[in-house]
Amino acid sequence: MSYLKIAQRNFWRNKRRTAITVSSIFFAVLFAVVMRSFQLGSYSLMIRNAIEQYYGYIRVQHPDFADDPSLENTFEFDQSLPETILRVPNVKAVTPRLETFSLASSGNITKGVLLLGIDPEAEKQFSNPEQFIVRYTISKNLTDISGMKPAFTDEVKRILGAHAGESFTDSVRLARIFDDHPIDAAQLNQILNLSRVQGRFITSNDSGVVISSSLANFLNIQVGDSLVMLSQGYQGTFAAGIYQVVGIVRMPNPDLDNRMVYMPLQLAQNFSNAHNLLSYMAVNLNDASDEALVAISNGLRKALAHTSLDVKTWQDLNRVLVQQIESSNQSGKAFLFLLYFVVFFGIFGTVIMMVHERMHEFGVLVAVGMQKIKLAITVLLEMLIMALIGVALGYLVGLPVIHYYHVHPIRLTGEMAKMMMDMGFEPLMPMAPFGSYVVWQGISVIFMVLLAYIYPARKILRLNTVSAIKR
Amino acid sequence: MAIIEVVNVDKIYNDSEVKVTALSNINLTIEKGEFTAIVGPSGSGKTTLLNLLGGLDSPTNGKIRVGDVWLNELKGSKLIDFRLRNIGFVFQSYNLIPVLTAGENVELIMQLQGVSARVRKQVAADMLVKVGLADRFASRPAKLSGGQQQRVAVARALASKPQFILADEPTANLDGKSAENLLQIMEHLNRNEGVTFIFSTHDQRVMNRARRVILLEDGRIKSDTLQ
Repeated sequence: MSYLKIAQRNFWRNKRRTAITVSSIFFAVLFAVVMRSFQLGSYSLMIRNAIEQYYGYIRVQHPDFADDPSLENTFEFDQSLPETILRVPNVKAVTPRLETFSLASSGNITKGVLLLGIDPEAEKQFSNPEQFIVRYTISKNLTDISGMKPAFTDEVKRILGAHAGESFTDSVRLARIFDDHPIDAAQLNQILNLSRVQGRFITSNDSGVVISSSLANFLNIQVGDSLVMLSQGYQGTFAAGIYQVVGIVRMPNPDLDNRMVYMPLQLAQNFSNAHNLLSYMAVNLNDASDEALVAISNGLRKALAHTSLDVKTWQDLNRVLVQQIESSNQSGKAFLFLLYFVVFFGIFGTVIMMVHERMHEFGVLVAVGMQKIKLAITVLLEMLIMALIGVALGYLVGLPVIHYYHVHPIRLTGEMAKMMMDMGFEPLMPMAPFGSYVVWQGISVIFMVLLAYIYPARKILRLNTVSAIKR
Repeated sequence: MAIIEVVNVDKIYNDSEVKVTALSNINLTIEKGEFTAIVGPSGSGKTTLLNLLGGLDSPTNGKIRVGDVWLNELKGSKLIDFRLRNIGFVFQSYNLIPVLTAGENVELIMQLQGVSARVRKQVAADMLVKVGLADRFASRPAKLSGGQQQRVAVARALASKPQFILADEPTANLDGKSAENLLQIMEHLNRNEGVTFIFSTHDQRVMNRARRVILLEDGRIKSDTLQ
């Protein structure tokens, strides 16, 4: 019979107390893991949407471009530059871009847009905007079309009305708008047929452009329509052109979806009179951790030391996003601290009850010859067993939950989705996959148990045997 | 040489504003093999004296020798270890560990002494045989009657092979039959195996069986008689 066995037996001694303590630990771990996973998943999505689909983790650019992103701060495109960058370890992809601001008009509607001149082939390896080509758009007058068989019900009309103008990259996403009010297959097929869009992505030699879906909706423009572009070109020249829209993309980042126009690089250079000039080379990485980011940017600086180009990380260029993530991270940590604080006092309460219930027994054990340190170790083992069971149960329930919602992120709808999109975020709540944060939640809870253990340890080590036996 | 020698022992409690003299000028010796009852009215100092003899408490003045060791020279873990190897305890309310079986309760003392698992299992079984509980080795205390629990407590005290066993009101919580049974066992162990027992008691039956009765009144020894 070992001390561990005594501890195990004591674990089951007061089932109700044990259940309260274990469930406190279980819920603490579960909530902490799930909450942290949601947070980290959201940050990761924000970064992915903003960085991988547009910014790039690192940009190689003119030293003044960060402060003044105009065509005047561009640089000559040296064809050997992509190779030089790709030779730096951990660089995944690189793409040249010319970026400028322009006015875009259709009919009598005009809007300021972000004109991005890209190399479609290189961009495919980078942000792959082609994956966001819109295949379906719910037209604003879809519900007015007569002669539907079967006819749309009022509920279907209401849903279509609420989503009028919205674009989708595939039929599954479109069908999701009916998740709360399922419709029959015939009606769905009818909607899909009427909403189909024949778009494509631009090629290097294209003379057309691809625009984002919210912008298309705002300008009331469809594939095949013309878009008038008006801007200031390189060195103050006048830039104007009319381009056919060959495709529409639905960017996951709502801010980009409101203002993006993709144009082949050469066409954009011609439009802006910025021949063979680039705004920057965007770089994506295999490992995007903070440590890797520093190492790779240092590597790039060394590789480009012979040029006048500057290397900037996404964190240098995107202070707002960094601050948004940091403030959300801090508030998340504060919430976790509060959660742990409450749980600690739950555990501490049961520990106090346990100690007072067993002071007499502790006294007897010391009286008959058990060293106080051995008694303290036995109680520590009891508490650790409780903690480990609580943590294990928390993981047992929490890990499948985070795996499920990592693979199947929660898509927000209604006002919540609108609010997220207004803030420039995709209305998705994915969970982060298993990572060190999961282990840390368990360690934190075990640390709390050890903190609560100070009380019984102190009581045992300062035990007055006679007083304890009298109790 | 006496196994216990108490020299000029006083015990004064200073915990409250009023000093309470629990024991005053106690001098006595206990020989090996004695079956001694310490009797007296409530508050006379019986339990205090037992606590001092067991090294659970220390005297305000005077000193106590157990075997060839003066208890006042031992502190902390050394005193606990001394108790483990030299003194057996039987408490009024049995005080078995509820999560351990009768056998494991007896084994626990030997485990603390570092006895091997095989030996302590055998000794625990033997001790339970001695107290008439051979068939209750695997029973938890909650499944035993008060008398049976107290017999397990005696077996536990015996298992450490102590120089003497201190029993504080061992029959106080037992019915007449259980008390008689327990006393018979202890008397048998005393007569046949030479185990030294020192009781504190109110129980006339215990007093009748004791071969030496020390009467305490107001913390002083009023009489010390052999029967």
